[in-house]
Amino acid sequence: MTDTNMKAHPMRAKLLTAAILLLVLAVVPAALSAIGKSYYMQVANSALIFCILAASMNLITGTAGLLCLGHAAFFGIGAYTAALLASNYGLPFLVTLPLSGLAAGLAGAMVALPTMRLISIYFAVATLGVGEIIHVTLLNWVSVTRGPMGVQIFEPITIFGYKFTSLLSIYYVTAVLACISIYLIWRMTNSYFGNALRSVREDDQCAEAMGINVIKLKIQAFAASTFFAGIAGAIMAHSVGYISPDSFQFSESILILAMVVVGGLGSLPGGILGALLLIMLPEAARGLGDMRMVAVGVVMFLSILLLPKGILGEVSAIQMARRQFNAAWNGRQSVGWK
Amino acid sequence: MDTYYLMQVINGLSVGMIYALIAIGFTLIFGVLNVVNFAHGEMYTLGAFAGLVCINAFGSPLAIVILVALAGGAIAGIGLERIAFKPFRRFQDEASLKSRAMREATLLSSLAVSIIIKELIQHFFGAEMQTIPGQYLLNNPIPVGPLSLSSGQFLILGSSILMLGGLQYVLYHTRTGLSIRAISNNPLGAKYVGLSVDKTIIATFAVGSMLGGAAGIMVGLYYGAIFPSMGFAPSIKAFVAMVMGGLSSIPGAVICALILGVCEALATNYLTQGWSDMVAYSFLIITLIFFPQGIFGARRERV
Repeated sequence: MTDTNMKAHPMRAKLLTAAILLLVLAVVPAALSAIGKSYYMQVANSALIFCILAASMNLITGTAGLLCLGHAAFFGIGAYTAALLASNYGLPFLVTLPLSGLAAGLAGAMVALPTMRLISIYFAVATLGVGEIIHVTLLNWVSVTRGPMGVQIFEPITIFGYKFTSLLSIYYVTAVLACISIYLIWRMTNSYFGNALRSVREDDQCAEAMGINVIKLKIQAFAASTFFAGIAGAIMAHSVGYISPDSFQFSESILILAMVVVGGLGSLPGGILGALLLIMLPEAARGLGDMRMVAVGVVMFLSILLLPKGILGEVSAIQMARRQFNAAWNGRQSVGWK
Repeated sequence: MDTYYLMQVINGLSVGMIYALIAIGFTLIFGVLNVVNFAHGEMYTLGAFAGLVCINAFGSPLAIVILVALAGGAIAGIGLERIAFKPFRRFQDEASLKSRAMREATLLSSLAVSIIIKELIQHFFGAEMQTIPGQYLLNNPIPVGPLSLSSGQFLILGSSILMLGGLQYVLYHTRTGLSIRAISNNPLGAKYVGLSVDKTIIATFAVGSMLGGAAGIMVGLYYGAIFPSMGFAPSIKAFVAMVMGGLSSIPGAVICALILGVCEALATNYLTQGWSDMVAYSFLIITLIFFPQGIFGARRERV
């Protein structure tokens, strides 16, 4: 339906996209510069990285219904691939970015191949185990990953000879890449592929009977999701300049899961909202000091208890937006349930 | 067998017993509720901290410390059930009990509560390790023939065997145990014959968390270190043991926990400390790939 609307009203779709891009690329950095604190620029940067992570996790946990408890590990694979390639071989950002996505996606596919027969809690446990294996490897394979010391990248992000050194320019790189990644994930969840994944989530036996190759589909979804997690990792490694195994633990996986749950499982705008909320919340509540993770836990718990569908649940996000908002947007009179 | 290897096996058995005590809690709760309690590791931590408070504030004797840890674990378990599980049991029909969404909501709520508990402990006690006063430390060497065991190992092995026996007695010779077994077998049927599901679930949480809390204080007294995130690693290992044992089999979980402990202890001969964690995770992945229903399980229908 969105497709037809976009074709029917190319101008309006373009306007909406332009408005979002303007907000992310101009209004937010301008506002942050007006506040005049570079610290907030870093927060905005990491919020965008977590937006990619939440969107990618939403693809498997929300759309395909596979609870993944080791997402941060694939984030870590991407980050380490980028950091090691950049610091050991001096490869430029434009080379390490796709390579780290591919490395994480390949690792995801390797993990997915044997574990896809597992269902619900068994799959969650397997991904938890894989996540811990990857974390232990990053921590202990000192000859390659430098262990707990972490890896540092001294070269700034360089694209076609232009060096991105200031915080504002790094923010722009992250923002553009985040917009592209989220757009790609959005196209994926709203294609035949995404709908097939939803059918697998609702009833995999029924989907199988209708001729969908469930295992293949799940593996594809997992590989695509971990690919974007790897991209997020590469962006993080290059924009922060330093990574250590601490950033890719179980607690980070839980943070990403909390973002997806708070925003609404299966809803991409919800996941992004959840990511923004849970990254901004600790900043807004700086008075709490070391209680910030408590706040994350409380928000996650209350949202499961009071908003089982999340802030922007899948139904409200997809159907309500499409039906109500699109009808009004297209100037049709019949606003209501059909 | 070499004395050194025998020592390592005994070390492994005592670590395995700790995993077993935690795994039993997981298994009991999974059996009754059909959901995984991700906050179980925090019961272990809370037990340890209850014991620590008791030591630091009152200087009470060892037996009292362990009893306080048991009570702390039980109270924490009941509180956890009230906060993280009861609100999600509003719907008692069979479809809701089996539905994926309900189970995952409970799983996520227990995860959220575990974050809250861990961070609150960290807030009040600090993130660094808390030391146990010297006179409580249980690492006096006790020679047994050519071996040199420590008093902590005697305590862990002895009291966990005692607790396993007690658990077996409770499960098979008391009314509470009967209703726990009945509900884990068929929740709706048990309800129809007049068993109180709520009371039984509370009893299950109390018993399971009690064992977890006892494991926590015993590890604290043996290794001399108590810290807020101490629950994560052992509870993951216990979880692995539970999955290997087949999710709902207590003997399976105990046997697998012991196997896991011994394998880890023997692996330290060949691997460094950090890598030995890989043993448990590799076991987990191998079990899930080749025995998706656990080595001792396969009786429960997978929904």
